[in-house]
Amino acid sequence: MAILRRPPRIQPRADHAIAASDLGVRYDLRFTRKTTIRSSLAQMVGRGHAEQFWALRHVDLRVQRGESLAVIGPNGAGKSTLLQVLAGIIRPSEGVVDVVGHVSGLLTLGAGFDKELTGRDNILLGGAFLGLDDAVTRELLPSIIEYAELGDFIDAPLRTYSSGMRARLGFAIATSVDPDILLLDEVLATGDANFRAKSKTRVIEIVAAAKAVVLVTHDMNWVTEYCNRAILIERGVVVMEGEPADVVETHRVHTEEARVRATEAAQAAGVDPRIVQIR
Amino acid sequence: MIPFRPMSATSEVPAAFRNAAGDRGPLRLVGEGIADIRSRRRLVRYLVQADIRKRGADTILGNIWWILDPLLQMVVYVVFLSIVVRNGPPDYPLFIFSAILPWKWFSASITDATTSIVRHDQLIKQIQFPKLVLPVAATTAGIVSFAFGTVALIVLMLFYSSHFSIYLVFIPVIAGVQFVFTLAFSFLVAAGNVFFRDLGNVVGHVLRLWWFLSPGLYSLATLELVFRDHPTLVTIAGMNPFAILFEAYRMVIYGTPTSPPGPPNFVSLAVLLIASIGFLALTTFVFKRLEPNFAKVV
Repeated sequence: MAILRRPPRIQPRADHAIAASDLGVRYDLRFTRKTTIRSSLAQMVGRGHAEQFWALRHVDLRVQRGESLAVIGPNGAGKSTLLQVLAGIIRPSEGVVDVVGHVSGLLTLGAGFDKELTGRDNILLGGAFLGLDDAVTRELLPSIIEYAELGDFIDAPLRTYSSGMRARLGFAIATSVDPDILLLDEVLATGDANFRAKSKTRVIEIVAAAKAVVLVTHDMNWVTEYCNRAILIERGVVVMEGEPADVVETHRVHTEEARVRATEAAQAAGVDPRIVQIR
Repeated sequence: MIPFRPMSATSEVPAAFRNAAGDRGPLRLVGEGIADIRSRRRLVRYLVQADIRKRGADTILGNIWWILDPLLQMVVYVVFLSIVVRNGPPDYPLFIFSAILPWKWFSASITDATTSIVRHDQLIKQIQFPKLVLPVAATTAGIVSFAFGTVALIVLMLFYSSHFSIYLVFIPVIAGVQFVFTLAFSFLVAAGNVFFRDLGNVVGHVLRLWWFLSPGLYSLATLELVFRDHPTLVTIAGMNPFAILFEAYRMVIYGTPTSPPGPPNFVSLAVLLIASIGFLALTTFVFKRLEPNFAKVV
């Protein structure tokens, strides 16, 4: 076992909110989306070597109290997987994570609701899933309803809601928790312009109140404006860590290089490069 | 606008020291499973309420279906079997209804539990919560439909009042044993379906076969008669949990073709209860062992 060969290097100091050492998350491709018994049997009978994929590897991370860390990188680099590990949703396959305090994750919002239930019932159910005390949820109920701007729709089933209403409700429920450590995954692009401004204010409020924030975003202005440190993840590995402005710049350069490579590859394959450019 | 109040709500997600070497012992995992459910009783209750509200909301007859369903199924079997077998036991409708009622509860709970985890894939990827609450809620919601089904039993009893007896009070006892077994079984199919998405199809067919191999439409005595040259088969048939349960339900509701209702066989019920508790501990362990992988796979 990895843990025996490589003892945890985390010092038991109280000043960190999150500390991760040699973190790795391995996906077993035998059991990815919608495996059937037939395909598993075929694999067992045939060449039985399991295909594995490291979504994250050798990640060392330390977030001090009062810090706001931005995680940036291209799609599929492992950013969301990192947040899932920090939230306790996924257990690392390798390495150690130490999280001090209550964690609240605002991962992708609006999903996970029960369409047949009313907005009110969804708030109570959502609170119960988040592990909130029922009395607390009921106390928060009026302010959540007010904040989500749902009006009379609050007692209508969720399937009658517009996607904007659903997103607003999701945001209001998720931000009703007051966490020590806040994990945000692309929550800034919610609803119409009005609500976006309002939600931005709210996120800034929570960020100010939380002891530590880890945020995944593609909004580079946000990174340079509100974060005091940033890491760049590419293909599951932390390639850079440092001042937000520097990391954002490196990310921009890497993205540009990737675009050039894609264009060249397309030209070599005889495809009109403009098609690639547009993408 | 009401401003957001300074909030004191904190989530229950523990500040955990997590690492890759998470191999906890079987007893520890079973203990965790019990703690999961105890700490999230309210979540289970909300999920059960949501389930009931949903099933009753969109149909014309609402919850009446829970009463009509077992009765209509009984009618189908009575019509079918009165063509195939001419001389069944007396008061045959009540004879088979005493098995249809608990079986519908079991099969509906298991079918529901099979998809209970994969249905909530979005939540599982976004929030850390004990996944055990999902199959527990699915099976607990089944209790309510069983309770409605007993209304159908009372209606039927009005037509067969000669079978009415004090022994009906034992129905909750038998149902309790059945619930423990159902719960244990539901953990297994719920966790299994995460890894094998076609398990639902398999479960459907296994359940159908199980029903026809259990003494529901016929009595255990009939089975013993058919297999009188194969004593091993008779022993195996007698070990089927639903042979014990159906015989017990039938004893208190119907009696036997030749005698009035009486007390169920408490010894075999006790044996089944002990075996089910052992089975429950085993499947809780299996579930908890697989649980950390759910978020990666769903």
